[in-house]
Amino acid sequence: MRDEITLQTRREFLRHTVLGGALSWTVPTFLANTFSALQAEAADQATQTTTGRDGTILVVLQMAGGNDGINTVVPYADDHYHRARPRIGLAEAKVLKLNGEVGLHPALTGFKELYDSGRLAIVQGAGYPNPNRSHFRSTEIWQTASDSTRFERYGWLGRYFDNACSGSDPTVGVCIGHQMPQAFTARQPTGVSLDNPQNYRFMAGGSSRPGQSGNMEESFRKLNQPEEDANSGATIGALSGPVRHTGSALDFLERTALDAQVSSDKIRSIAGSVQNAATHPGSQLGNSLKLVAKLIGGSLPTRIFYVSQGGYDTHTNQINTQERLLKDLGDSVSAFVEDMRAQGNLPRVLLMTFSEFGRRVAENANGGTDHGAAAPMFVIGEKVKSGLLGQYPSLAPSDLFQGDLKFSVDFRSVYAAVLESWLKTKSEPILGRKFAPLQIV
Amino acid sequence: MLSRMPADRWDFTTAAHLLNRAGFGGVPMEIGRLAVMSPAQAVSWLVDYERIPDNTTNPAWAQPDPERAERLRAARNASPEERRKLVQEMQKNQREQIVELRAWWLQRMACGPRPLQEKMTLFWHGHFATSAEKVRDAYLMWRQNDLFRRLGTGNWLELLVAVAKDPAMLIWLDQAQSRKEHPNENFAREVMELFTLGEGHYTEKDVTEAARALTGWSYDRLDEDFTERPMWHDRGEKTIFGQTGYFDGQDFLELLVARPQAARFISAKLWNFFAGTPPSPELTDALAATFREAGNQFKTLLRTMFLSQEFYAPSIIRNQVKSPVQWLVGSVRMLERPLPPPLVCTGLTRNLGQDLFAPPNVKGWDGGLSWITTNTLLARYNEAATLLQGDVAPVAGGALANRPNANRQFVRRMAQLRIGAVDAGKLFTEKQRESVDALLPALERRLLQAQFKPEQEKVLRDYLGGQPELTDSAILNAIRLAMSTPEYQLT
Repeated sequence: MRDEITLQTRREFLRHTVLGGALSWTVPTFLANTFSALQAEAADQATQTTTGRDGTILVVLQMAGGNDGINTVVPYADDHYHRARPRIGLAEAKVLKLNGEVGLHPALTGFKELYDSGRLAIVQGAGYPNPNRSHFRSTEIWQTASDSTRFERYGWLGRYFDNACSGSDPTVGVCIGHQMPQAFTARQPTGVSLDNPQNYRFMAGGSSRPGQSGNMEESFRKLNQPEEDANSGATIGALSGPVRHTGSALDFLERTALDAQVSSDKIRSIAGSVQNAATHPGSQLGNSLKLVAKLIGGSLPTRIFYVSQGGYDTHTNQINTQERLLKDLGDSVSAFVEDMRAQGNLPRVLLMTFSEFGRRVAENANGGTDHGAAAPMFVIGEKVKSGLLGQYPSLAPSDLFQGDLKFSVDFRSVYAAVLESWLKTKSEPILGRKFAPLQIV
Repeated sequence: MLSRMPADRWDFTTAAHLLNRAGFGGVPMEIGRLAVMSPAQAVSWLVDYERIPDNTTNPAWAQPDPERAERLRAARNASPEERRKLVQEMQKNQREQIVELRAWWLQRMACGPRPLQEKMTLFWHGHFATSAEKVRDAYLMWRQNDLFRRLGTGNWLELLVAVAKDPAMLIWLDQAQSRKEHPNENFAREVMELFTLGEGHYTEKDVTEAARALTGWSYDRLDEDFTERPMWHDRGEKTIFGQTGYFDGQDFLELLVARPQAARFISAKLWNFFAGTPPSPELTDALAATFREAGNQFKTLLRTMFLSQEFYAPSIIRNQVKSPVQWLVGSVRMLERPLPPPLVCTGLTRNLGQDLFAPPNVKGWDGGLSWITTNTLLARYNEAATLLQGDVAPVAGGALANRPNANRQFVRRMAQLRIGAVDAGKLFTEKQRESVDALLPALERRLLQAQFKPEQEKVLRDYLGGQPELTDSAILNAIRLAMSTPEYQLT
């Protein structure tokens, strides 16, 4: 039932913007009112409009592979640290000290600046009970915010979209890349994905002769409109082909085609006109955040952006690899923050990192570390409670769980904080139960 | 369960379904040939492929290189400056060879005489997903690909042991470095979690004990081959799956394959790959039983699958999203055009989310609906223009987004490449081109082996009807439109 409503309103949306209506990106008033009427359930859940033009924005940055938290936020004064890592342990002199006990990896100069200027909160020892050491299962746990002993079908951000963002604008969630993160999986598939704004449209091109392009584009649009309502019943009797199952692959393709069309014009117009206000590194992460900065600057009504950086699975040769990755991370995020600041948008933006797990305390025989458990999360923004939050888990062998750090903060209390204090929505329906939000913002 | 398709249900649609799934599709004539056979004959043509000669040659460098040892030695003894240059040159060669390797394999898929053998090679590549980005050796990647091709439809244990000893795999999952003092768990974990049993069917203890059993299985860089290092092997007693013994790698793999779950896991995965949807528990049981009774031989399982009524259920036919590789290979087959140049092919599939020889991680590609995002769907629509009209711009744009450090000049040059258009005259007879009414069904038969919705047929009719005449250019544009639909993404 809900599926049909949203698809129908998306079609309405398309008709308005594409076939001659004004290209305003606010949800037309009559649609907003229709939604309020339709959201009969959960009267206490404030339904959020998708015109996030002045709303708060969350940027989720996935560090894929399992970043070694111990060499990122370094307990340099701890003997256990140096004893466990004779080869890959970082020397005290090199570490960027935050206090008498911990410091940042030397390549994270960008983060150090953010810390010093009160814009970086470090959640120490983030993890969950019964940690899982499989990349895929643990990533799934972080993406779905489930207990490690249960399986949740939808992502935590997907449940946020379902609960709080029922509306017709597909750009409420934007992922920079090719694949949608499991975090976005929702009952109502939501979100768009892109990486190159210029190509983010149907390009009639080819051997179109002058005047032919228009026909091509018009035909393309009509071919990609899902079935009309039951009112066009005359043609339904003549339909051939297999019975359509709800939730079939074709349904999904049609919905995606519609979302692409609805979001294409606005995104391209923003990307073409908005100038970045900072210089971003030329890495994939740098470019992703650069595009996010443009889209925010261009007032795309997005609430959640998602970017990712891969390569953290450092079983071997950790020193060089992690240095390169963390430098990219620190520099890219710094540039993004600077861009936001110059735009005047920094107060609206919160950036949160996560990784599927940290790594084992003891190094292995190959200059690396194996899959571990608890690790730090970084939360960046103008409004964060800057500093070291949570507690650094003890590295003492007797305090470890199967060689791994025990968590001190359940990551879902970080999610709860983000949902309640930043996105201003109740976290319990989204996370499945109550998690006391960490005081982060 | 798994009762055979009767001959009276066999027709163009079912034959097309078989060729699309067990291979990469084909032109109406090829489908027609299968349609007039009995189901058993059609399936046999695909499954018993050794009867079809295959004279494809391998890339020139796809063999051990005796001079490589010399070059490595020279690099070690050179000055830092020279060493850097030598290393840079070796890396450049490697990158070029991988591009060549990709093109070589795509060519096999597009033109080779044994569709199922290539499709199974693709399955194993996604299953034992190994990336050249870490292995960094085109010969070793080719060798693994060749292994999948040779052993991919044989016996499960034989294939598994060969893969465990495969140099690319030894490097990829760090098995090559595993020794008794510090057993490396990476391969031991993934072989259970991803390759044979699935999560929840082994314990952490099994992983660490298996890692001990595997110590000593290693890789010799000079020989470029598997080697056993007795000094590295942990000779002690291990307990795996509740059994105790002085297990080595071979013993461990035998224990693995003997688990009932092993047959269920791989049968279900194969069904999901070919049918496009996970099998029900009952179907999994039936497939696993077939597999075990056949002594874990894949051919029997495949034949049973492709002959089963379940495989041709309405919910299965045309309900699978084409993978990027399937999209590319199937399209060039249906359009009867040559594959684009290697670099363009790389860009084409990469923009759609699949990079052969560089899977995102050891789990391979999730497949199914995950191939489709607003990004990749638009890319499919635009890359259709590349295949039809030879316009490389859509590919170049994607390349720049993916590799920001790519040489901009190179990308610009690529965007200006013209790679030749499809010859519409090859695809349709004169009679079919006489009128829109004659052309449209022929177009649907070739591209979909099914019909568009009536509203869509009307759009195509209107488009073609609006042209002064049915020129090649107008026909290609119509095909472009047909390929830019949700329907075309399904197989």
